[in-house]
Amino acid sequence: MGVAVARAVAPQLAVLPRNAAREAAALETLACWAGGFTPRVSLAPPRALLLEIGGCLRYFGGAERLVAAVAAGAAGQGFGARTAIAPTPRGALWLARAEAAAICLDLPMLAATLDGVPPEVVDLPAGVPERLAGFGAATLGAARRLPRAGLAQRIGAAGIALLAQAYGELPDPRPDFVFPERFAQSLELPAPVENAAALLFAARRLTAALAGWLAARRAGIAECVLHLDHRGRVPTAVVLRFAAATRDAERLERVLRERLERLALAAPAEGLRLAADGVLDLPGHSGVLFGSGERGDGMAALIERLRARLGDAYVHGIAAAPDHRPEGATRILAEGDAGTAVAAGPRPFWLLARPETLRERDGRPWRNGPLRLLAGPERIESGWWGGAKLGDARRDYFVALTADARWAWIFRELRPPGGWFLHGWFA
Amino acid sequence: MGALAEVLARPDIWRGDRFAAAPLPAVPSGHPALDAQLPGGGWPRGALTELLTDGAGLGELSLLMPALRAVREAGGWSLVIGAPHPLHAPAWAAAGVDLSRLVVVSPAAECDALWAAEQALASGAPDAVLCWTAQADARAVRRLQVAAAAGGAAAFLFRPLRAAAEASVAPLRLALAADRAGRLAVSVLKRRGPPPAAPIVLEPPRPAQLHESALAGARPAPAAPRSPHQAAWA
Repeated sequence: MGVAVARAVAPQLAVLPRNAAREAAALETLACWAGGFTPRVSLAPPRALLLEIGGCLRYFGGAERLVAAVAAGAAGQGFGARTAIAPTPRGALWLARAEAAAICLDLPMLAATLDGVPPEVVDLPAGVPERLAGFGAATLGAARRLPRAGLAQRIGAAGIALLAQAYGELPDPRPDFVFPERFAQSLELPAPVENAAALLFAARRLTAALAGWLAARRAGIAECVLHLDHRGRVPTAVVLRFAAATRDAERLERVLRERLERLALAAPAEGLRLAADGVLDLPGHSGVLFGSGERGDGMAALIERLRARLGDAYVHGIAAAPDHRPEGATRILAEGDAGTAVAAGPRPFWLLARPETLRERDGRPWRNGPLRLLAGPERIESGWWGGAKLGDARRDYFVALTADARWAWIFRELRPPGGWFLHGWFA
Repeated sequence: MGALAEVLARPDIWRGDRFAAAPLPAVPSGHPALDAQLPGGGWPRGALTELLTDGAGLGELSLLMPALRAVREAGGWSLVIGAPHPLHAPAWAAAGVDLSRLVVVSPAAECDALWAAEQALASGAPDAVLCWTAQADARAVRRLQVAAAAGGAAAFLFRPLRAAAEASVAPLRLALAADRAGRLAVSVLKRRGPPPAAPIVLEPPRPAQLHESALAGARPAPAAPRSPHQAAWA
């Protein structure tokens, strides 16, 4: 169908020029993704990928399941895939064009299936299908039943060689796809996108490719960067961090979703680029026979999910620090740690961010009523050297019961101007 | 009769004079008097426990420390979300909490705290989740209960006392108060079992002894600091 005819049928048709460079880039991204299925991938430009799956059929639970996983993965990225499994690369390519989801696991079965394929759907040299049709060979099987010498004269040696490769009579060596040393794949968006959340679908292609690339390299990442390109502006960098090295496509995507949902775009995005540096070794893990993995894995995934949405600073661990000043005795860490405590006396579970000034009546601290001092004083005198931001402290701490029977940790400031302060709650 | 026995065998149906069976084994609260009043004999797992309290310093955390120690013994993780004040690490460590398996989430907004609690409960990764919220409505509580049931963690939701008047789907609701002697009085507002009796008075570990004399008249504050080098615990 020509463009003019197509326009006549569908006037609202948008015609775009074919962009070979973008097709090649998309094929390469898909090849990276296919690394998640098998480390041996080969490009068959302009629009086919060959996956050597002889070694991984058992891992994926059989040919049907593998085909289903490949089709679902491609559909998740917005690609419609036609698949075929065959013992020869060219046989698989031809079957994929001729017949959806054909699965031939040995040569006789392949020959039987290929025999029924019409010559015009496969990529024989130009003119050959017409000539075959001209002398009555409506299928590849009919063409092969003709005398070989005469057929070679009529359709040329090249056509004969292709047929022989498809049927496994001639070797068909294919170059392996070389997974790039450093992952940096980009994607041009068909139209500028103003809403960050809408980028998720497009970015999924890149995260799927990254997961496949990592699987092929038996590696994981703890951090990757998604660049959003804008017209005439500096690209926005979205850093995705993971609590532990991972190559799980679902985890990559979950963290990405949290980040994108929270992102306000300064300008419409026109392209995406995903780059991963600092690749870490992550050997394959054994399948779990009983139960579902370790709880630590689940915690790591939970922590990175919370961090992706709330920010790294808001999800943290704590550790005790060897400082006599209560303000310095808790350290905020990315991961919690027992630490070393030096506290001698009782310490409250809650320590107020800023000590609360207490009124004083008749020489006694007062907070909606008099406070009863139950234990103390514990003298804390430290930091005269002005350590960090906490500085010098000279205080007498007491355990006190407030008028409404709450257990408080209060202190009397010994440095002028003195006064009473509430510093914590024995919750 | 057989059909009735079958119905009564369901964990979500119980006779009014008995406790319901807990779907998951409970976490012992460490307070025998309280365990005796809780269906399943401890803090429920896979269900939301509401603790209603105003302000701090009643012993509301001391109440949960035995459960957090049990989590540590099982090698599990604890999550503290939206705490009302910063945590003082030496006290938590001294109480036996495993700080290397404690995650503190301190979101800037209330809705983020509820979101984080829901994610944490639904993930099934932590064993105990403590969440403080002032504005959770019935819908938010229902979401948390559903998430807790999916994940199986012991879930504690701290809410202000005024929430006692609102309906809630949490199967266990306790109100915490201090009695005059500084002890912790726990009133069971709701449980899967017979209507509760009087408040349970507990004496979790406290930093000092409280004598009746102290109640009668407060001890005068010391007149002046003695030696500047004295750092002893008097």
